[in-house]
Amino acid sequence: MTIEISNVTKWFALPDGSEAQALADTSFSVADGEFVVIVGPSGCGKTTILNMMAGLIMPTAGAITIDGRPIDGPGIDRGVMFQDYALFPWRSVEGNVGFALEHGPAGAAMDEAARARRITATIALVGLKGSEHKYPHQLSGGMRQRVAFARLLAYGPKVLLMDEPLAALDAQTRTILQEELLRVWGQALPAAERRTVVFITHAIDEAVFLADRIIVMGNGPGHVRDIVAVDLPRPRGDATRVDPRFQELVQKIWSQIKNEAYRAATA
Amino acid sequence: MGGLLIPLALPAVLVASWQALGEAFGGVRMPLPSRVVVEGVALFASGELPSAMLQSLGRVFSGFLIAAVLAIPLGILMGTVRVVERNLDPLVESFRPVAAIALLPMAILWLGTGTPAAVMLVAYAAFFPILVNTIAGAKSVDRNLVNAAATMGLAPRAILRNVILPGAVPQIAVGLRVGLGIAWTAIVAAELAVGAKSGGGGSGGIGQMMFVFYAYSIELSRIVVCMAAVGVVSLTLDWLVRRGTRRLLKWKAT
Repeated sequence: MTIEISNVTKWFALPDGSEAQALADTSFSVADGEFVVIVGPSGCGKTTILNMMAGLIMPTAGAITIDGRPIDGPGIDRGVMFQDYALFPWRSVEGNVGFALEHGPAGAAMDEAARARRITATIALVGLKGSEHKYPHQLSGGMRQRVAFARLLAYGPKVLLMDEPLAALDAQTRTILQEELLRVWGQALPAAERRTVVFITHAIDEAVFLADRIIVMGNGPGHVRDIVAVDLPRPRGDATRVDPRFQELVQKIWSQIKNEAYRAATA
Repeated sequence: MGGLLIPLALPAVLVASWQALGEAFGGVRMPLPSRVVVEGVALFASGELPSAMLQSLGRVFSGFLIAAVLAIPLGILMGTVRVVERNLDPLVESFRPVAAIALLPMAILWLGTGTPAAVMLVAYAAFFPILVNTIAGAKSVDRNLVNAAATMGLAPRAILRNVILPGAVPQIAVGLRVGLGIAWTAIVAAELAVGAKSGGGGSGGIGQMMFVFYAYSIELSRIVVCMAAVGVVSLTLDWLVRRGTRRLLKWKAT
């Protein structure tokens, strides 16, 4: 599915009655089957824009469309992976993965057995076999992240909106999950069979490793600073990370956000 | 053994001094521990105490159930939908401080001195703690969980039932526990007062039993038996609620 963000601005009301601008005149597009990563310093409106694509908040001005239709609310064509995973703490791994199938429209046409098969298969796909009956508080950060991902895959939205999903993980787990994410996205498949992904991160190397295109954002208020096409070949893996072109792209993006990142870090 | 002996030491000393002082200075009607035990055994064996207790418990459970059935859905709505809360909150807050027992005159006038009036008072008393805790529970549910459910295509009603309600369960459990405790104190007070009105009529219950011992036969030892029985039942109820809700809350981290 194609997402078009045209001249979007967003103002938020503050508790003291004044307003703050989160986004100024932002435009970019996400093509069908494309893996787009948004990077930028804290406060540049990355999450705001993702939430608008999800239909959870509305732009103050401008338009967001999906396949030409304006987005006016959440829909099961767009799944969100939240920063803190937003797992239902009272439901087991199985219960979380099956939530949308059980209570949402996605599972309406499935019978009990088909649902159970899908849940089992998705849990196996993300490597959570054996933990089906555990509750979120019993899981490590990496496992919670897998549950959140499986919960998305189980009902199969065509667009995956992911808000810093790997931020809380240690470096090794992160590296492994980046490759798994590319596999599930379909990097081995022809472009037409891939899902569409919009992925937010702070980590520039992660952005370059994953993305087809990187939207580099700046703050004060949030805006698109640059859009960088990542011309590294797919499928990507360990060899990608030592490719000189990889380092070159990382440096290029870092030089663009360095000043603001320093300012944010020392503020 | 030592673990049990220490907490029991002070009560034992108190009961012993009660017995000693009562024997030394008390009159014929003085309720001594020895008399209380004898009367307690007699009241229990005759079946009077158990049947009065069952009568009261039946009223507590009916009233409590009515309160829970009304307060939980209402609390979920008030904790979730702003408009509902804004409209109902003044009403709730103005009735909440009115003690259940203050409704007794109306309850007796409308419903007579029997079970319906008692059940109504119990329901009224238990309603508020359950409501207030359910509202707080519904409000405490992480906004992100609601968003997550919305992105999975759940309609608002499905979100209420499958996200807000289960998320509010820990706080609802607190409300149920407090509500049941209050319901139990309300029934004793209500039955005592109804007993006063009907002159020891047929409405029964532990509270009325106490009234009869107080107003007609002046048997203070028997009143103490009733007091002790009320305490024991109250402890048992609390323990049961805690046990019952523990299973519902096994997903909590602690």
